[in-house]
Amino acid sequence: MLRIENLRFSYNGIVEVLKGIDLILDCGVGCILGPNGAGKSTLLKTIAGILQPKKGKIFFKGKDLTRLKLKERAKLISYVPQEFSLSFPYTVFETVLVGRHPHINAIFGPTREDEEAVMKYLNMLHLEDLKEKLFIQLSSGQKRLVLIARGLAQEGELMVLDEPTSFLDFKNSLLALSVVENISKKLGKMAILSLHDPNLTSLFCDVVFLMKDGRIIDSGKPEEVINSHNMKELFGLMVEEVIIPEGKYIIPDKNALRHFFE
Amino acid sequence: MKKGFFLYLLTFLVSLMVGRYLFKPWNMSEVEKAILIDVRLPRILIVSLSGASLGLAGVTFQNLFRNYLAGPGILGVTSGSAFGAAIAILLFPVNYLIQGVSFIFGLVSVFLSYFLGRKLGSTILSLVLSGMVISAFFSALLGLIKYLADPYNKLPAIVFWLLGSFTGVRWSDLTLALVPMLLGITGMLCLRWIYNVLSAGDEEAKALGVDVRKYRTLSILLATLATSAVTSVAGIITWIGVVAPHVARLMVGSDNRRLVPMTAMVGALLLLVCDDLARILTASELPLSVVTNLIGAPVLFTILAKKKGVLYAKD
Repeated sequence: MLRIENLRFSYNGIVEVLKGIDLILDCGVGCILGPNGAGKSTLLKTIAGILQPKKGKIFFKGKDLTRLKLKERAKLISYVPQEFSLSFPYTVFETVLVGRHPHINAIFGPTREDEEAVMKYLNMLHLEDLKEKLFIQLSSGQKRLVLIARGLAQEGELMVLDEPTSFLDFKNSLLALSVVENISKKLGKMAILSLHDPNLTSLFCDVVFLMKDGRIIDSGKPEEVINSHNMKELFGLMVEEVIIPEGKYIIPDKNALRHFFE
Repeated sequence: MKKGFFLYLLTFLVSLMVGRYLFKPWNMSEVEKAILIDVRLPRILIVSLSGASLGLAGVTFQNLFRNYLAGPGILGVTSGSAFGAAIAILLFPVNYLIQGVSFIFGLVSVFLSYFLGRKLGSTILSLVLSGMVISAFFSALLGLIKYLADPYNKLPAIVFWLLGSFTGVRWSDLTLALVPMLLGITGMLCLRWIYNVLSAGDEEAKALGVDVRKYRTLSILLATLATSAVTSVAGIITWIGVVAPHVARLMVGSDNRRLVPMTAMVGALLLLVCDDLARILTASELPLSVVTNLIGAPVLFTILAKKKGVLYAKD
């Protein structure tokens, strides 16, 4: 279980980006839905240990993450970044191997077991044919899958994914989220991620946290929380709800933004 | 890796034989043996260690700054050492004092860059900027010293020192520089796996459990120790620190587990070849940086041109 209590963070000490976040995720896939600049990435980065909160606590499986050593924390929490970091031309295999770092001795480097673990996760995501290819030469969809594989290789109990669908096309967005959903179901891991699309959220997530201006304004199951009232609140947008046998879709009213041009 | 090592060994042996006097290993006089042991052997050892140091410092900074064009001097170590050496040549021109002062100023300049960088926010960019500021500062001071130096006696000594050379290196010169060099070389070799993680970027490295600041500080310290030691012995040697990692990357790829040791080997080999050329091309020795520049620049250009579509694509 992930439990966050009164989490506060600011980048410069003046403007708070997280203004007291309270959040509980029992199991499965949790999604943070909100407009640009709501603080979603910042929240995920504090969970992953990249940013140090000013105040508040983050508990995972009863452990206070803010007090854990970096390496211990990295064994519990896997992080999949939003952007593709492009530094040197590493191969796919080398890129995923870096994910093993929390389990690796800093001086002696990875062992055979680490390399086997990498192959296991590359196979799981059907990336084994790409393993000698250079990461920078892959398509966006493949890069995203490789980064997810790296997160898997980290073998944390909780996966933190910052906008796993950014840069991805219609199909690849579905693919990335299906992978996360499957991992969560098959390996019994938890995941928390951020998305922009309410419909994708409904399709793949167990719990939704609506985030605006550094606060969680509502949370619950997608079918309860994603409604026209909340979408108006979150994005300032009129939407129409369409009930279909599989659930509920929301369709934005294109004319709702007309005032922008007047 | 094995091939590289044999090539290095071969160059090592050839370097022992060539020079002002060409030795035949099967027929050597006592004098020749003495030259071999007291002059050429220490020189070849220190050249090899220097080449390895510069290459390793280069690959270290390239990983830290996530940039292909970073070299050992990016945080101002070379300008600092140069200033230190110049001031020593001006005030107390004794060999070991020149070495010592130059070494200390190399460390001081990087120390200053590092703390200035922290004032700016401790990011990679702030480090690069503070490195530029400190380099400029020490270059200006060096200019001032050159301007003030006696143009018939001191100025040529400073200018020659700045061009770099291993001329006249003896076993006794090794002792002072050996400890920081070996410390730097061993340390950087040990950090090779960490470089893979660090080059993923600060945020991702942190999420993977790496104390970025600790390892960055340690790497900078090791690279600076090694580079400062090289500069204090031989003056400013350009290009090796930038070219060696590129050549090695072409041979073994980007994985630092192989790249870092290969860079050390390539650096040692390249500098050895350059030093041999400096010794044999003309009757009196050429300044080393003249040779490394003449070779290094076209080599780097050829590599970049050859690999442009593949290795250097950003997206």
